[in-house]
Amino acid sequence: MNRRMASFALLVGIMTIASVAFAHHGTANYDTSKTVTVKGSVTDFQFINPHVLIVMDAKDEGGKIEKWQGELTSPNRLSRNGWTKSSIKLGDTITISGYPTKSGSTEIWIQKVVLASGEELPTGNGN
Amino acid sequence: MRSHVKGLILSGVGMLVFSSGLRAQMGQQAGAAKAPAVSAPAPVHDLSGVWNMRATPAQRKFLGSTYTQEGPDMTAWSKAKYDSAKPSNGPRSNALKVTDDPVLRNCLPPGTPRIYLQPFPLQFVQTPKEVIILYEYDHTVRHIFIDGRPHPADVTPTYMGHSIGKWEGDTLVVDTTGFNDKTWLDRDGHQHSDQLHVVERFHRVDRDNMQVDVTMEDPKALAKPWITQLNFQLKPDWDIMELACTDNAAFEDFEK
Repeated sequence: MNRRMASFALLVGIMTIASVAFAHHGTANYDTSKTVTVKGSVTDFQFINPHVLIVMDAKDEGGKIEKWQGELTSPNRLSRNGWTKSSIKLGDTITISGYPTKSGSTEIWIQKVVLASGEELPTGNGN
Repeated sequence: MRSHVKGLILSGVGMLVFSSGLRAQMGQQAGAAKAPAVSAPAPVHDLSGVWNMRATPAQRKFLGSTYTQEGPDMTAWSKAKYDSAKPSNGPRSNALKVTDDPVLRNCLPPGTPRIYLQPFPLQFVQTPKEVIILYEYDHTVRHIFIDGRPHPADVTPTYMGHSIGKWEGDTLVVDTTGFNDKTWLDRDGHQHSDQLHVVERFHRVDRDNMQVDVTMEDPKALAKPWITQLNFQLKPDWDIMELACTDNAAFEDFEK
């Protein structure tokens, strides 16, 4: 269905140590043994508690638009890593990587955000 | 099944191959960062400032949800309650719509010492009368009276308990009792009763690092005291921010 996704052994190795332990809720919804990567255009960015949300449109391999939702950590933690509510703007093309849902839905627990410029925004894993 | 599964399997193999080396590397880095080569001496009888808990390498796999790898020695009463609990965090993790964690389900104050497991910083403010701890999580506040008063004779049960403290050398020893039984000891679903008694020993190792030795006693819930050590790092550039539990409710519908 979706060849866009990729996984990174190195990234998963780091994240297993650093981030799983800290979240407002648990990992039941996500498969933290896997990582997916999705590139798309941001349609919504909510800098809200308890977790910051990114919604984006991404094309699957057939060119069909899929809506992806991703959650990050808290805005407080992201603020301490330099984020503001304007760090991502509607229409921005970004690449997100993180844990997929166990159900296979188009949602992701974001661990990495890369802007179109190539700049990576720190997601505060492990503080 | 998605076509990326094969890639994920390959990456999983890669992870198994590389993760142990990475863990060792990360542990060394974290260990080095935890104990700075140079830190000023701790000020005398002063815990003022914003602090953030920092897991030791050994604690990383469990400190997000509980205090020790092996867990507490439970009584039959609390074991039965633990077995039926549906936590959101830890090895028995449930989805937000399923969990009965009182903090996530009803936004109850986390209690003492569970408040430390909510992954946000805290601030100490001191006056001659009391040490005040301002926890970022849901505006939670504790007042630790250091003016020599005892616990009230007929204390009203509360979520965070009634705290009195005194300095023993360079350690602030805080005794807390007077709890209700509406909260959990941790995010894994371990239980306590209204007989919970918590002693925290706050010891500022140097200017930048603080150890807190915590002992939980509860004759109804714990067969023997549950003991842990938490480590905090001073964050001079941080401020305590707003974080309202009520915002969590919107996330139940996010999970699918």
